[in-house]
Amino acid sequence: MMISLILFYLLAATAIGSALLIVSLKNLVRSIFLFFVTLFSLAGLYVFALADFIAITQVIVYVGGVLVLMLFAFMLSNRVLLSDVKQGFKGVFALPKWQGLLISLAIFFLLLSIAMQFNGHEPQWITRSKSEQTLILSSDNTIHHLGINLMTRYVLPFEVISVFLMMALMGAAHLARKEEQKV
Amino acid sequence: MNFYIIYILVAIILFSFLAAFTLFAVYAERKVAGFVQDRLGPMETGKFGSLQTIADILKLLQKEFISPANSDKLLFAAAPVVVFVAVYLGFAAMPWAPDLAPAALNLGLFYVIAIISIEAIGVLMAGWGSNNKFSLLGSLRAVAQIVSYEIPAGLALIAAVMITQTLNMQELTINQGVLSNERLLFLGLWDVSKVGGFLAWNIFQAPHLMLAYIIYFIASLAECNRAPFDIPEAESELVSGYHTEYGGLRFAFFFLAEYCMMFLVSMIGVVLFLGGWNTPLPNIGTVKLAEWTTGMWWGIAWILIKTLLIVGLQILIRWTLPRLRVDQLMSLCWKVLTPLAFLCMAISGVWRIMVMVG
Repeated sequence: MMISLILFYLLAATAIGSALLIVSLKNLVRSIFLFFVTLFSLAGLYVFALADFIAITQVIVYVGGVLVLMLFAFMLSNRVLLSDVKQGFKGVFALPKWQGLLISLAIFFLLLSIAMQFNGHEPQWITRSKSEQTLILSSDNTIHHLGINLMTRYVLPFEVISVFLMMALMGAAHLARKEEQKV
Repeated sequence: MNFYIIYILVAIILFSFLAAFTLFAVYAERKVAGFVQDRLGPMETGKFGSLQTIADILKLLQKEFISPANSDKLLFAAAPVVVFVAVYLGFAAMPWAPDLAPAALNLGLFYVIAIISIEAIGVLMAGWGSNNKFSLLGSLRAVAQIVSYEIPAGLALIAAVMITQTLNMQELTINQGVLSNERLLFLGLWDVSKVGGFLAWNIFQAPHLMLAYIIYFIASLAECNRAPFDIPEAESELVSGYHTEYGGLRFAFFFLAEYCMMFLVSMIGVVLFLGGWNTPLPNIGTVKLAEWTTGMWWGIAWILIKTLLIVGLQILIRWTLPRLRVDQLMSLCWKVLTPLAFLCMAISGVWRIMVMVG
């Protein structure tokens, strides 16, 4: 129990620390590579929530896909374009700053109000499902539940997402295609 | 607390095995190259040159760390570690014998596929950190290739998973031999649950899985950057790709990662299609060959023999086939392997419903 607690705090500290470094680093490539650390420690935190499938999907989608895509985009874009991003926005009334402040304050108060609401006790619905034994245990095979639910209860959202991704794929193929030569 | 010591011991044993395997594989590679090209290969150090790779690694260990003047020192140093650790973590879920696996995860196969994809990040780190055109081009090529070939490889694996209905590597293996509780059919016709042997392997349970295995094998060659898909390290164009600037111990780690990757992808193929630690010998009447040759030490021996044979095949292919061009590489992946893998997956679904259940 002790070691898992230490691991949890280690992962949480890594996630927050690396996220802070990402936004403060001047070197763009390094901050993209640091994003990998953040995503990985976040995947570790998912495991603590017994969402092992989500954790691995996080690694496969974000690390194997999105991060590589970001790096490619960075390496294929030119210096002039990137120097704009590096300079950032100056001035007191620059938009992104107060917007960011607003969002982070809102999320902070949300978290604070939820913490106040439960006040150190566990919520009722958790106590109820504990007494009814309707919990996921760490030894459970979660992927069976996921598969069955995706194909029955959530089949419509699942299919809508796949159609949406298909549209994105076709759009990308269309944009990347060479213009047809008019003879 | 005791099991933490066991965890560390298992990790150390695995690492020393992989290091020993790499030394052996490099020697085998050079000998096979010599055989194919009608020459002797290393002959000077030890009997038939058998100590050559040990001498090589001793030399690499003594070398100085050199990083190029304008390189990104941090990324340059981190890259070989990331590449190796990504491959090494994959071994955590691999089954070695009945009841013998470092971690029998419910999502074992999914985990291994995910962990392997991290290697791409390490390769990009090496390419960017070196601050060298050849390295960057090599790493871009490598990543484009790894990312594209993951798709047919993954789909071919899913075709086998749909037949066995589990992602747990240990259960996947059990379902291909005499220990299985399910009904196993040889080519969908003959009940071989009690016969076992090679007849119960996934590759013979459904004929389309042979095609799936061939697709997986080709794609796995590309994922390891092995010839005929070694354009990331094409010597005639890119010096030696993303590890051009590396030397000494750091280069040794890239080398170790490459050979461990070969072993890992071969082992995944063996577990999913070729019966894992199951024996190839079937029960024949009263001669219960399959039951006699199933057990812990037998299991380790079988999976090692099978995996080393596949690694040998990879080595032989490297020195036999010429390198593909970039456009040929991509058209092979997207126009041939991916549609065929999709076809295999569709047949697997139908097979599961029509043949295995009905």
